[in-house]
Amino acid sequence: MNEAALLATPLFWLTATIGLFEAFDTLSRRMNRHPLCHPVLWSTPVLIAMLLATGTTYETYKAATMPLSLLLGPAVVGLAVPVWRERERIRRLAAPIALALIAGAVTSMVSAVGVLALFGPPWTILASIAPRATTTPVAMAVAGQLGGIPALAAVIVLFAGVVGAMIATPVLNLLGLRDYRARGFAIGVAAHGMGAARAFQVDATAGALASLGMALNAVATAALLSLVAALV
Amino acid sequence: MLRAIFLLLACQLAGEGIHRLSGIALPGAVIGMVLLLCWLALFPRERPGLGAVTAWLTAHLAVMFVPAAVGLVDEGAVLSRYGVSLVIATTLSTVLTLVVTALVFRWALRRVASESEAP
Repeated sequence: MNEAALLATPLFWLTATIGLFEAFDTLSRRMNRHPLCHPVLWSTPVLIAMLLATGTTYETYKAATMPLSLLLGPAVVGLAVPVWRERERIRRLAAPIALALIAGAVTSMVSAVGVLALFGPPWTILASIAPRATTTPVAMAVAGQLGGIPALAAVIVLFAGVVGAMIATPVLNLLGLRDYRARGFAIGVAAHGMGAARAFQVDATAGALASLGMALNAVATAALLSLVAALV
Repeated sequence: MLRAIFLLLACQLAGEGIHRLSGIALPGAVIGMVLLLCWLALFPRERPGLGAVTAWLTAHLAVMFVPAAVGLVDEGAVLSRYGVSLVIATTLSTVLTLVVTALVFRWALRRVASESEAP
């Protein structure tokens, strides 16, 4: 088998993706999970460079790595489990959770699209940033449905996660907010799973509320944007 | 384990079906998540298998969206033209969302607390 044929097998790109991710994940663990060391942030450019160097089209790569992408759907469905587990807390904190969720979801969409619109980009770009506060697989699906670019949505969401995880503690301290429930929920709504990972490092309650915020905002933002899409 | 995987896939499939047949714009997986929540509420019981499978999926979520992020290889023009504005908009929106969500949560928490203290 020649070299080009090996590159054309689905196995090559699947192995390269998981291998690179694992290598950068190990590095990220050594760096105490600093948000800037997130493995996706580093494995993506390396893989892009490999595609360009070998003259492989994205279509080939996408087909080869389909097994990984297929897991995203069940992972999103599975977000119901932590929500179910937190049902007692949801009942007790129903009003703060519902109000903060709606306020957060609307703020994130309006501010992201509003600020970006000042730069005059086309609709495809605006649609890609609108779901930026949701967890990546949901953002990709929603962006795709609104006519945006899923890959761009994925990277925007990732970047939002890095920003959220880095600024949450100083910003919330600046506000004088000490309640770990409010802190955790806010970071989950604003910065999805990466925010939740950061919250778990600080406090277990904050982490649980952050996971809840992420899961609920995935539904809230997707529902609000679907409504917008239906009305437009 | 297999039963948990089947439950997740069945919810997603049903979600996709509802999405396509009804024209609801919510992604199939998100509808599937709501369906799973309904299922858990209707048939509450201990589900260690489901807990293990979803914990594994959530723990490895990041590697699953690498293939999508690599799709940026075809978006070079967009990134060079709008990269800076995307960074500005995403940063501002993330900070603002964090602040608004946290403040509304605290405000509502205080209102609930003061109401329950009132006679």
